[in-house]
Amino acid sequence: MKAYFTYFKLKFMSGLQYRSAAWAGIATQFFFGFVYVMVYIAFYESGEKQLPMNLHQVITYLWLNQAFFALVNQFHKDPELFQMVKDGTISYELVRPKNLYFMWYFKILGQRLSNVVMRFIPIIFVTSLLPYPYGMEGASNVYHFFLFLCSLMIGTLVVVALSVLYPIITLATMNEKGIVNVMLSIADILSGIVVPIPFFPLFLQKISKYLPFQYISDLPFRIYVGNVSFQFGIRGIFIQLFWFLILVFIGFSLMKRNIKRIVVQGG
Amino acid sequence: MKIYLKALSMHLKSELEYRVSFLLSFLSQIFIFFSYYFVILSLFTKFSHIRGFTLWEVLLCFSIIQFGFSFNEVFARGIDRFDRLIIKGDFDILLVRPKNILLQVLCSDSDFIKVSRVIQAVIVLILSLFHLKIEWNIFKIMTLLLMLLASCIIFFGIFLMAASYCFYTIQGLEVRNVFTDGGKYMAQYPIGIFQKGFVLFFTFIIPYAFVNYYPLLYLLGKKDSFLYGFSPLIVFLYLIPCISMFYVGIKRYTSVGS
Repeated sequence: MKAYFTYFKLKFMSGLQYRSAAWAGIATQFFFGFVYVMVYIAFYESGEKQLPMNLHQVITYLWLNQAFFALVNQFHKDPELFQMVKDGTISYELVRPKNLYFMWYFKILGQRLSNVVMRFIPIIFVTSLLPYPYGMEGASNVYHFFLFLCSLMIGTLVVVALSVLYPIITLATMNEKGIVNVMLSIADILSGIVVPIPFFPLFLQKISKYLPFQYISDLPFRIYVGNVSFQFGIRGIFIQLFWFLILVFIGFSLMKRNIKRIVVQGG
Repeated sequence: MKIYLKALSMHLKSELEYRVSFLLSFLSQIFIFFSYYFVILSLFTKFSHIRGFTLWEVLLCFSIIQFGFSFNEVFARGIDRFDRLIIKGDFDILLVRPKNILLQVLCSDSDFIKVSRVIQAVIVLILSLFHLKIEWNIFKIMTLLLMLLASCIIFFGIFLMAASYCFYTIQGLEVRNVFTDGGKYMAQYPIGIFQKGFVLFFTFIIPYAFVNYYPLLYLLGKKDSFLYGFSPLIVFLYLIPCISMFYVGIKRYTSVGS
């Protein structure tokens, strides 16, 4: 356990060195956030009745998306891991007497956490100072806030379990583009980062209920804005835990299978 | 021009050597492309219009922007990936050759997989023109062609500007994504739906509004003045500072060695 934690710490600390990248990231997040917010404000002006979320809820949701983007986005591809698979450096990893799956898991977890730690505070701070209707609002109540924290933490574990799958698949396909990119773009849509789930067409809402993606960031953010009830949130957390275990199991056994078949070509 | 075509055909040949991988990536692009449209499609199931623009009007706007962007991804890939030339020191090779530098950069790379995006943009464009009842006349056809052209030009300019920046920073910058990807994302909506400051910035600093907003108003019959129809021409002026920035950059260039 201690060895894995060291991997986590290594990635976490080295991630903190990239401060200029973090500032660039924050600028990007602000820009996208503003564009999204203005688009929704313009849409809400059309005066439709019976919308699944009200305007403040949507805007707070959008800013949360931007603030925690580095933590929950789908397109996190660690170039180091993919490189390792493609150029054969993975053979060094295989001689280490530790489980490769958990090594990779903690590496990605460390990276994601260090990326988000440098980004979310300025975004939340500035956006909560913005005037109505652009700014972000507080949680709907204290209980929802704590539920949000729990759910975000488990959501992080779920998304990392997903991100580890991609280099593992690459072990078999040797190409990190084709199928992996298709999976990434499906995950990206269904995670609610592009559009909050309540705005989906009905049939897609039904489909995504049975997939892990909406339990990463959509659930915690909707808990925060109070779009779902407390009971619903609790139930959601159990589903999150379920998906976490399933995904770790899939990744772990897939890794085992792919490593058996691995061929390292000299060098 | 002849040299550029020669280089293009060489890149195409080398990509086609890996036929299966090329095909798979080509197909996967279709999926990725769909995710761009998903936002618009699903929001329009809940809302009927956005500040007076309907679904097909927004899609028309978006397909024009996508067309220009992916066009540059295919044919101006060398500029998009300019930071690689600088980091690896390969730019020095270009400097000693007795040909135009910009042309050589253009020849250095291309990405034919992105042709699938160009095709898809054209399909969406045709579909939305089909659904919109536009009263066509010769000026409106000209406006549409000018919009497509301006869309290619503006992204060429932005790519070039980002490339010139590499002379100073020696690395690709994440900030450039704000202007390329971010700009692309924003310009999928008619720019008039945004707040004033935004509109002004993207009219005068980076002239997206002349690509897909002012001419769009003319095309859809919301404005009648010819000035709106021919406004994409202004985008050509935008090339002047972009190209001169690139040449200023070359003068300042010091190799990274290796």
